[in-house]
Amino acid sequence: MEDVLDEVVSSEDLQKFEKIFHEQLHQGKVTHKAQFEYAWCLVRSKYPTDIRKGILLLKELFTSHSEGKRDYLFYLAIGNARIKEYNKALHYVKSFLEIEPANQQVLALERQINKRMEKEGLLGIAVAGGAVLAIGGLVGLGIALASSKK
Amino acid sequence: MDYVTTLKILVIGESGVGKSSIILAFTTGDYNSSFPATIGVDYKCKIMEVNGVKVKLGIWDTAGQERYRTLTSSFYRDAHGAILVYDISEPKTLEKLKEWVDELQVYSTKKNIVCLVVGNKLDKPRAVPREQGQAFAQKHRMLFIESSAKTQEGINLAFEELVQKIIETPGLWETGGASSNIRISNEERRQQESSCYDYTCSI
Repeated sequence: MEDVLDEVVSSEDLQKFEKIFHEQLHQGKVTHKAQFEYAWCLVRSKYPTDIRKGILLLKELFTSHSEGKRDYLFYLAIGNARIKEYNKALHYVKSFLEIEPANQQVLALERQINKRMEKEGLLGIAVAGGAVLAIGGLVGLGIALASSKK
Repeated sequence: MDYVTTLKILVIGESGVGKSSIILAFTTGDYNSSFPATIGVDYKCKIMEVNGVKVKLGIWDTAGQERYRTLTSSFYRDAHGAILVYDISEPKTLEKLKEWVDELQVYSTKKNIVCLVVGNKLDKPRAVPREQGQAFAQKHRMLFIESSAKTQEGINLAFEELVQKIIETPGLWETGGASSNIRISNEERRQQESSCYDYTCSI
């Protein structure tokens, strides 16, 4: 593991906090704590659908519970980065840094997101480069075949 | 990969005792006087050499705030070492450290996890005598050191002592990575009674 974006929630944790959340939902009263704990597990899941669900829960908390705003912003950034919504993730990072410009944890997250964007951008080029080589190979083969017919 | 294994190190203790500052001081040598509360769990890694063995440390920095208490316990799993931090200028933080010892006993999965008590903020006026911290560590059979993340005093030594003790503990860690042909722990792997609690040592 290199950074926080690699970290994956254990299935026990996800199930544990999911159960608490659903019990409260069933009773008609979900506490901020239970919603945050469940969302915190969801955004660290390996499944994008879980992450998206976690993002929705965090957005709801962000508008309804001002006390935990910095926590919600941070995990909104994490969740979005994990589903490769890098621009959205950076938007949340920026909002956070407007409040706490020197926050090491968030500055590190910003660097990690930028690193991933860069890496994946380069990967795109590598794939394109590979395709060029493959086409080149086919053309070469064609020429070889054509010349062998003579 | 040029290191023999990856060790998981957990840093716990009350909010504001300097857990993140200690990690920052150790990993970068920097100091930040206004460190905001850590959100959830932070992760830093550093490769260090102890007794000629290169190991990668994965250091987990946990939020000390109460709201994260139920969430961070899952990070105790598989930790090889734990650093329990208190603030020598705030006696309450040492009193509260007992709760963190309890958490550790409940949630850590490696029976012989190596624990180190760190009395931080040596740069501040002392309100907890060194002997008191030392007695706490001895009682729980943990290593002990005092430090200042601000002046760097004791910081490297703390991690060196902890890692050295982990390396010396048979069965606690395994060599990781195919490139390594060193097998230190596998031959001597055996179930051990909690070694965190069967030695006492102070630095």
